[in-house]
Amino acid sequence: MDHAAYSSSTSFGNRNVNCNNVTNNHKIVNVNKVIADENPGVVQWLSPLDPRGRHQDVRTNRLDGVGNWLLETKEFGEWRSGEGGADRAVLFCYGDPGVGKTYLR
Amino acid sequence: MIDALCDEPSEEDIAIAMFYCDFRDQQKQTTTNIIGAILKQLLVRGEVLEDVQKAFQKAKKEVGGRGLRLPDMVQMLEQAIATLPQVFICIDALDECIPKHLLELLVSLKDIIRKSPRMRIFVTGRPQVEAEITRQFTNSVIVPISPKAHDIKRYLENKLEMDTEHYAMSDGLRADILTTIPERISGMCVGASIVPTSLCMVLY
Repeated sequence: MDHAAYSSSTSFGNRNVNCNNVTNNHKIVNVNKVIADENPGVVQWLSPLDPRGRHQDVRTNRLDGVGNWLLETKEFGEWRSGEGGADRAVLFCYGDPGVGKTYLR
Repeated sequence: MIDALCDEPSEEDIAIAMFYCDFRDQQKQTTTNIIGAILKQLLVRGEVLEDVQKAFQKAKKEVGGRGLRLPDMVQMLEQAIATLPQVFICIDALDECIPKHLLELLVSLKDIIRKSPRMRIFVTGRPQVEAEITRQFTNSVIVPISPKAHDIKRYLENKLEMDTEHYAMSDGLRADILTTIPERISGMCVGASIVPTSLCMVLY
């Protein structure tokens, strides 16, 4: 994504905030709830980068069900459960270009 | 991953921040800017926001309205995470960061985990960043990603279904596509000439 695309997503991104977390429940605390949106100056000062535009692209292009196998692995389960504490806090998925890392559900 | 975390049934509140590294944006994607982009997604509780606003007002008075330094940014992110029940940070394509930023980012994340051991971090990248990740996070959970035959079949079925020139397709050709391509791709190194480029692009 080039700079122009990034800045355009910055300017209109705030209105789309809640789309990023389209869920049918209320357990999600963010992404970028209103608090940040009411403070555009501060948010821009914190970082000129806004990943939400890119995230929306990925969501749009992702095919449901593809990559679900990861969620069934014992590695994912262990990481998600938090049992390992700080020691096992990082889940790293690696692969060559094109294998679908970005589109893991 | 983000959608999976959002959708899973869970009693507890979770907060998710994400970041996509992009080699075309390397210069702008400094560690400070990346941590800042994560922080702004987690600014959901008032008390941290007040601190951030104070720092912002202070910075505005200084020459050039300068931004936060990395240690300050990391500290604010730690503060923000401490106010939330459980935080997930997802970062895609670490290999697209320049090495200096990658190292700084991993070290910063390590500091943050030390303060918030419940936090979970999901990262993806090409195999060459594995060494640096395991150097910083000795016991990280590592999963190799390869295209799965049923995922590819599903993807192809969808593409064929959505093909606007469907009259050019016969049942025989369709069946051939759906058996041959998934068989050849799964388990082999993607990037070899047999994989249509468009498929590579979209899967990535």
